[in-house]
Amino acid sequence: MKKSLVFLVLVVLTAALVAGCAGQKAESVLDKIKTAGKVVVGTSADYEPYEYVDEAGNFTGFDIELMTEIAKRMGVELEWTDMPFDSLIAAVQEGKIDMSISCFNYSEERDAQVDFSDAYYTSEDAFLVTEAFAGTIADPLEVAQYKIGVQSGTVQDDWVTTELVDTGLMPESNLSRYERVDQAALDLQAGRIDVLVADSVPAKAIMQQQAGLKIVYEGMLYTGPINIVLPDGDTALQAEVNRIIKELQDEGFIDALAVKYFSE
Amino acid sequence: MSKPILTVKQLTKRYGSNTVFENIDLTVNEGDTIVIIGPSGTGKSTLLRCLNLLTKPDGGQIWLDDQEITAKGTDEDHVRQHIGMVFQNFLLFNHLTALENVKLGLVRVKHMPEKEAETKALEELARVGLADRAGHYPGQLSGGQQQRVGIARALAMDPRVMLFDEPTSALDPELIGEVLEVMRKLALEGMTMVVVTHEMGFAREVADRIIFMEKGSIVEEGSPDALFYHPKFERTREFLWKITELYGKKEAQA
Amino acid sequence: MDFSRFIQYIASGTAYTLGVTLIALPSGLLIGLVLAFVAVYGGKLAGKIMDVYSTVLRGIPPIVLLFILYFMMSGAINLSPFWAGSISLGIISSAYQLEIFRGAILSVSGEQMMAARAVGMSKIQAIRYVVLPQMIRLAIPSWSNEAAIVIKDSSLVYAIGVPEILRRAQLISASTQEPFLAYITAALIYFALVFITNRVLGRVERKLTIPANP
Repeated sequence: MKKSLVFLVLVVLTAALVAGCAGQKAESVLDKIKTAGKVVVGTSADYEPYEYVDEAGNFTGFDIELMTEIAKRMGVELEWTDMPFDSLIAAVQEGKIDMSISCFNYSEERDAQVDFSDAYYTSEDAFLVTEAFAGTIADPLEVAQYKIGVQSGTVQDDWVTTELVDTGLMPESNLSRYERVDQAALDLQAGRIDVLVADSVPAKAIMQQQAGLKIVYEGMLYTGPINIVLPDGDTALQAEVNRIIKELQDEGFIDALAVKYFSE
Repeated sequence: MSKPILTVKQLTKRYGSNTVFENIDLTVNEGDTIVIIGPSGTGKSTLLRCLNLLTKPDGGQIWLDDQEITAKGTDEDHVRQHIGMVFQNFLLFNHLTALENVKLGLVRVKHMPEKEAETKALEELARVGLADRAGHYPGQLSGGQQQRVGIARALAMDPRVMLFDEPTSALDPELIGEVLEVMRKLALEGMTMVVVTHEMGFAREVADRIIFMEKGSIVEEGSPDALFYHPKFERTREFLWKITELYGKKEAQA
Repeated sequence: MDFSRFIQYIASGTAYTLGVTLIALPSGLLIGLVLAFVAVYGGKLAGKIMDVYSTVLRGIPPIVLLFILYFMMSGAINLSPFWAGSISLGIISSAYQLEIFRGAILSVSGEQMMAARAVGMSKIQAIRYVVLPQMIRLAIPSWSNEAAIVIKDSSLVYAIGVPEILRRAQLISASTQEPFLAYITAALIYFALVFITNRVLGRVERKLTIPANP
């Protein structure tokens, strides 16, 4: 009797789950933003120099400054919500945040759940290793022979999983997923992984902060451009964000930001 | 001829397929001290607990004065205010002092004002000889003292009848005397009492009537003299004198 | 590098940690206490329902329930991370507290209830004046343990974006590349909170102890 009651409760929980998923908003988030006078933006502030915290505990970085300007041009206040990277997509889907900027690359899987703005910057991927690393990598697929670390939920994670693990080039046990890039860097130093595959800009930032690392390969794996993540099917909001991005690109605002944060 | 305070007709109690007792008839008149004796497991305690409805009988009726308390719709809590019970394991409220133990029923059940309740509680404690222990907790009292507080607690409610469920069975031998003394005084003062006990000396000396129960029914009933010296049944004589042998000390003292 | 400012940043997460705890623990207490009495005195069916409640909630990792409440129930209930987190932890704690109080009530022997009824008290009166006061004393040690657990579990809300101690430590670790310093700071703050709580509850326990001869 008790077991079937437990089962019944689980059924009810599942039903609630389905009901929860079914709740869709009809109006555009853009209207909601304008009415509220503020936009709630999600990010994962552990990815220098795109988004990170300074000494005073403020969010800062390339993405942060860019979004601050975008909100200004939308005529609304900006409210940041920081959470682990792999929670961000779900948060946009469920309307917990209006949009997200966090060095997102486009991917087809993500496109099924959310929409993307036009690209606001193009970055590359890099393979980060310790200085003691002896190999060379001409073709990115050659990295399959090593133990690899990636940040969970990133396109680098996608690439390694799809191109190396799923194809059988690399055993799954050699792939380690981390919640944050700096955790992966620690394991790289410790020798638990041989190669850290990440966006080249944060990879270079880590290389500068920690001694004994070097980049053994740089290039575009899946796609290079980075976009803002938007709620699925919200064409009004998408149009507005794209308009502002274009404006900022034409004015040279984004180029100036890149120089500020990315020059070595 | 005094009037009956407790009348029991055809009382029956079963636990599953096991019959504890069946068709018990019993009358307790005002001022009576009834002592129930018999081997363990014979249903004596269960019978006692039916009298104040702590245990629900499966058949038969009970009257307290003129009210049938086994009738449907009876306010049992109210009935229990008029029937006092003293337990084998004392069952004092462990988190309260002796005084508070006695006071609790007065304040919460009888809704007596604090001061009045406190005065009455102290009186009852004095009655059992424990006025000087009023501020002690059960954990600080001996077994005999705890049981006397238990008696005071029951008396404070001014019950029509007092039920004692083997009140000295859990006590060290030296402490039994002080409790029996309180009970003896109560009987002499005219309290109506029903006592389940093995203390034969007490039964002989204080009881108006002794009831011998075995295997769920009353074997014999009568005055102490009758049962001890002219029992109708062999079994009665056997039991009484066997118990008296075991509790021989009381015999020598009597 | 001025690490003292970073420590300040991490420490300022304490307000959120305390906020989550001070919502989760008392609500768990209220629900758990009521349900415990229902479970013990409410009859067979009530007891079974409480068993299911307790089994299901204690069988799911708190962080999973957190995600369910926050992400998947958005259609029906729209909660901020702070409230979703606090309420989830409160609900989970209520299941553990239900068991703590249930055990404590049962430890107060059934005979105490019988003695209370014998004096003419109703069931409710007996519970209120005889069972409850004794039960609380029995429950304090286990409850103290649960309080410590809730303080520590409050760190789980980092995953849905509450800027409490752990999340702040993570961000500092990422931006300074000094994980040891960042996490030790966080650890010390949590430890201090738990330590103080245990001390306070220990004192409460001593104050409530009923005198007895050894």
